[in-house]
Amino acid sequence: MTYGWVDHTAELELHINAPTEEAVFEDALRALAELVHDGARRERATFEVELSARDRAMLLAEWLDELVFRAETEGLVPEAVERLRLDDGRLTATVRAHHGEPRHLVKGVTYHRLDFERAGDECHACVVLDV
Amino acid sequence: MSEAAALARHGLRRVDDACWEIPAGARSDMRVPARVFADAELLEQIAADRSLEQLQNVATLPGIREAALAMPDIHQGYGFPVGGVAATEPPGGVISPGGVGYDINCGVRLLALPLTAAELGGRAEALVHEISRSVPVGTGHGRGGLRLDGRRLDRVLAHGPRALLDDHGIGTADDVEHTESRGCLAGAEPAAVSERARTRGADQLGTLGSGNHFLELQRVARVADAVTAEAFGLREDQVTVLIHSGSRGLGHQVCTDHVRRMDAVLRRYGITLPDRQLACAPLSSPEAGAYLAAMAAAANFAWANRATLAHRVRESIARVLGDAVARGTRQVYDVAHNVAKLEEHHGRRLCVHRKGATRAFPPGHPDVPAAYRDAGQPVFIPGSMGTSSFVLAGRPGAMERSFGTTCHGAGRRMSRTGAKRQITGAQLRRGLEAQGIVVRCPSNAGLAEEAPFAYKDVERVVGVVERAGLAATVAQLVPLGVVKG
Repeated sequence: MTYGWVDHTAELELHINAPTEEAVFEDALRALAELVHDGARRERATFEVELSARDRAMLLAEWLDELVFRAETEGLVPEAVERLRLDDGRLTATVRAHHGEPRHLVKGVTYHRLDFERAGDECHACVVLDV
Repeated sequence: MSEAAALARHGLRRVDDACWEIPAGARSDMRVPARVFADAELLEQIAADRSLEQLQNVATLPGIREAALAMPDIHQGYGFPVGGVAATEPPGGVISPGGVGYDINCGVRLLALPLTAAELGGRAEALVHEISRSVPVGTGHGRGGLRLDGRRLDRVLAHGPRALLDDHGIGTADDVEHTESRGCLAGAEPAAVSERARTRGADQLGTLGSGNHFLELQRVARVADAVTAEAFGLREDQVTVLIHSGSRGLGHQVCTDHVRRMDAVLRRYGITLPDRQLACAPLSSPEAGAYLAAMAAAANFAWANRATLAHRVRESIARVLGDAVARGTRQVYDVAHNVAKLEEHHGRRLCVHRKGATRAFPPGHPDVPAAYRDAGQPVFIPGSMGTSSFVLAGRPGAMERSFGTTCHGAGRRMSRTGAKRQITGAQLRRGLEAQGIVVRCPSNAGLAEEAPFAYKDVERVVGVVERAGLAATVAQLVPLGVVKG
């Protein structure tokens, strides 16, 4: 596991260290899946995601926001990335999920301390969720 | 950290026994001072997290006037601290969606029942149980929420609880009259609310949510100001219900949409910020206009949500205590915690951001309902679970010192994980039940996150706002039962 949560008074701060930019996005999904996982193994589903943003940090925020939106409005609890591709400012992905009852409310994916940078052979990202 | 260490670390100077200040010169980018209403003990707790640094960041916003303010229940947030207040002046002053927060118009509504706790007797548990069956709780989509779409949702977004009353017979005209801004912020435009936000909120009216949202059955344990309590229709041992919820997913998405939009135009307006979450735009800009129109619609949705929750509480009261008690249950008031409003202060038209803070207008203010105008605006300060809540009334000091604002609760001092490390939900449930408090919460983990020790001492917080002259205590309420998301 290359991610970790820091728990503040009313927010959760997610830190990810991964070897590639794609792996940062995959780990972000794993972290969110851990947060909202409902323990159920109901009907499986996959869904497609297409996003664009001005920079990688905002794209990461958009990615998590999309996963939160699908969980809240369609009850799709994310499990894993089946396919993920990053181009200049664009992400396309196929997400494996199950229909369930996501257990943790995420009000918003904030831009507070939002960060995404590459240092040598490693990428680091930080994002704070309002919960 | 001792008081002296806190003072030294942040460059604080004492203004009086309820207020400290970080001068504007403490950082080169601060435009105004940062002021904190607190006592020495609360100040030590406040200095333990990043909330004072965040307050200084707020003091850098273009067009901010007088000072960035913090109420005594302040704690670390994102962008603005929770418990933060900032007033900006048009046209160049900015509006920041992060200065309102994701849960737009999260707030509280107090209902007063026409009976005493003695008269309620052993029926408290049955009433709490019935309310818990009637009010959907938890995360995600409605599961029992009032589903509105198309034109019917537009009317709620434009008019708030008035539309529910006219179209669905929910609530009463008296409820609407006894709601901040009569439950309807001017300038709300349904078309400014994105499809994504409408999707998130479509079936969430009348749902409590999770986290710190709750519904509490209480009794008036003490009346501190008999004249004002009588004006508010409260008397000793009376049964009350306090409802705490907000705009649910619809408001969360409005904030997300507009932080993103404003982040994209910062350079165009020549704005440099110490924190990206403070994304903002001049009040005269089209981006500000779009946000204010959507925020007002989300605020109206939140008031409609609490109106629907109150309707369900009255239905529960009717089933357990009879129709006459339900009909006699009146709304004392409903106040917003997270909202930005254009108001007159010190001869200027200002945009007052309140994030985790309550409007507290004094006696005589024209925006206080006629029935309360001699008493001052009612303010409700919920305590943590199992502790007292307080009814206050706005005082003139609020207009002089805090843009007509006071605190909104006890204020968290411990993370949710930290709380769960110290107590299990089952232990907390047993402890509350041993105090005679009925608990209905589907999640033990969720219950533990809201343990009383995770919050500041609400009596100390109320003491500070009294000494600062922002509000005065009217009555103390103690819990009989709680329903949590």
